[in-house]
Amino acid sequence: MNALTEIYGSGLASSGKTSVLISLLAHATQQHFCALVDADDSFDPASARAAGVNFFRLLWVRCGKHKSKLKPMEQAFKTTDMLLQSGGFGLIVVDLSSLGERLVRKVPLTTWFRFSRVVEKQRTALVFLSQQPHATSCAGLVLSLKARPAVWSGKLLVQFKLEAEVMRMREKKPPQSAKPNFSLRAEWA
Amino acid sequence: MFACLFVPDFRVQAVLRLEPETSREILKQSPVAILDGPASLPRVVATNEPARLAGIEMNMTRQQVETCGRVWRRKRSPANENAAQAALLDCAASFSPRVESTAPGTVILDLAGTEKLFGSTQALARKIAHQAAEFGFELNIAVAANPDTAFYAARGFSGITMIPAGEEAERLSSLTVDVLSTSPEMLDILDSWGIRNFHALALLPPVPVVERLGQEGLQLQKIARGETRRPIVPAEAAADFVESFEFDDPVGTLESLTFILNRLLQQICARLTARSLATNELRLKLGLEVRQLKTGENKEFYERTWKLPLPIQDPKVLFRLAYLDLEGNTQPAPIEKIIVQAVPVKPRYAQSGLFAPASPETEQLEITLARIRGIVGSTDENGIACVGSPRMLDSHKPDSFTVQPFSGINEEAEELDSTPADAPIISLRIFRPALQTAVELAREKPCSVSLHKKQLRVLAASGPWRSSGNWWSTSSAWARDEWDVALKTTEGVGFYRIYLDRIKGQWFVEGGFD
Repeated sequence: MNALTEIYGSGLASSGKTSVLISLLAHATQQHFCALVDADDSFDPASARAAGVNFFRLLWVRCGKHKSKLKPMEQAFKTTDMLLQSGGFGLIVVDLSSLGERLVRKVPLTTWFRFSRVVEKQRTALVFLSQQPHATSCAGLVLSLKARPAVWSGKLLVQFKLEAEVMRMREKKPPQSAKPNFSLRAEWA
Repeated sequence: MFACLFVPDFRVQAVLRLEPETSREILKQSPVAILDGPASLPRVVATNEPARLAGIEMNMTRQQVETCGRVWRRKRSPANENAAQAALLDCAASFSPRVESTAPGTVILDLAGTEKLFGSTQALARKIAHQAAEFGFELNIAVAANPDTAFYAARGFSGITMIPAGEEAERLSSLTVDVLSTSPEMLDILDSWGIRNFHALALLPPVPVVERLGQEGLQLQKIARGETRRPIVPAEAAADFVESFEFDDPVGTLESLTFILNRLLQQICARLTARSLATNELRLKLGLEVRQLKTGENKEFYERTWKLPLPIQDPKVLFRLAYLDLEGNTQPAPIEKIIVQAVPVKPRYAQSGLFAPASPETEQLEITLARIRGIVGSTDENGIACVGSPRMLDSHKPDSFTVQPFSGINEEAEELDSTPADAPIISLRIFRPALQTAVELAREKPCSVSLHKKQLRVLAASGPWRSSGNWWSTSSAWARDEWDVALKTTEGVGFYRIYLDRIKGQWFVEGGFD
């Protein structure tokens, strides 16, 4: 709450960032209204339902689906701005991880700083999902995700192992060896 | 007791009530003439007091009106008059459940039993006048023991008139016989007898009046004496709340339109509030000036409907929603007519709990969503909304979903039984539309997949998982063989879902497990 969080992981290889995002939404929508700003329309409602997301408390904004003067990333940032101004959302997630890395890198630092300042005054958690960290010192928490070898049962993919690393934490310094591991279960496993 | 609400110069007031606040105040003090008839020769059908003082008379032509100095001319609109009458009924209905629509611009309401709610009849009459001013009317109000006395007193005396029971004949005596609703022939007879006012009519002996004028004459005399007794006929509440405005000259700019739109919405919301109703569906129709060369008729319309998750009474919110939509959709032709309709529903009253989760303020949320729609668009190429709450469709076809309006209501959210999974689930990141790809097979299993212009080796594959549906329809039939594959990329191992479309015979990447 009251901070900007950045979760990042590889774009080509599986890193588990989408699974973490959906798990976050599943827990947050039990108590709060949440918004997902989907810059590239890559959210899968079937996965979300399996994870237990309460759709009635989820606002999904699909960017880049309509001919507009604005590019999908500009649409996503403007939408996030409006949602923050509107208030009432416990969690706002902005998924930029399908956008080109060079494009997101062009976002000026002042934009991240402004988001950080706005969210500080609200009871809202603002989470950005991307391939690389961009908010730098504006983020209250930066989390890096990497996938480890998957578990197969015969012909079936049943489990993902993830390694998370806290790259930055504003409240207190992260421990040097903080690399918690956790696993993701396949829906059919 | 009965109260009569009478709108003097009803046709003029029916037009002026839809004017923006500033111009309405100016027009009230200025001569206004309402014209009707064929476009080639319209004639005056109604005027206000300043116009009469300026010498404007009924049936004058436009050219004759122009010779009388600066006179505001407006086109007569029967739709406006109907809406004004409905508004007058709504205004009266907020004080009494028994309201009679006596004539255009005149309603009578039964005040029996309203004392405990609104106090004395004088206080009630003042409240009615105040409420009517909010609807844009300037009324004459008369309160009397019988409906006819109230009716004629309201027609004859301006402002608020109170007639106690037993004093009807005395109070009506000064009224001229011209206010009686009777035939011109009858008025001519009374005039030839030298009967000019109610006092003279009331003093005539009843039997000779019946002998000469029949039962109608006796009825007129009873009215003059304030002795009539009749029940009122309650009017049914209006089922639709429609307000319309026709521009004298078509407007091409949004600013000109918004003044009128705001006024129409204020009128509708005032009427809804008077009936203790709200709206959850607002319809806007703009008539565009597009000439059809063959028929000469205007047939082009722009229509828009807003379905709101919660009933709303606030005109500012409705105006903002309409304004944001009009701002994003430029009209191809000037607008000559605007019609606004609100579907009435009961308002929703809810008490928020101490421990209920914070939710976005509903009215503010609607405006925010309208703004977001202005940025990302309303729907995608398949007609699915771009902003809203996702819902799964009852189908086995992968990626079948729809997007419903987001309400932000806690009660609805609590109805859904959803609990988070015990452990995080592997989620799919979808490519919409699916990426067409080339797949090399070895022993009927994928061994190499082309992705982002790179040939990637398959490390492991799970499949084929075969599914199909809608086989009875050629347009929507689907059939596919699905594989979950682990691909060796430059950044590590990526897990993807690929499938062979058995109808098209092509391979696609549906998404990546991430």
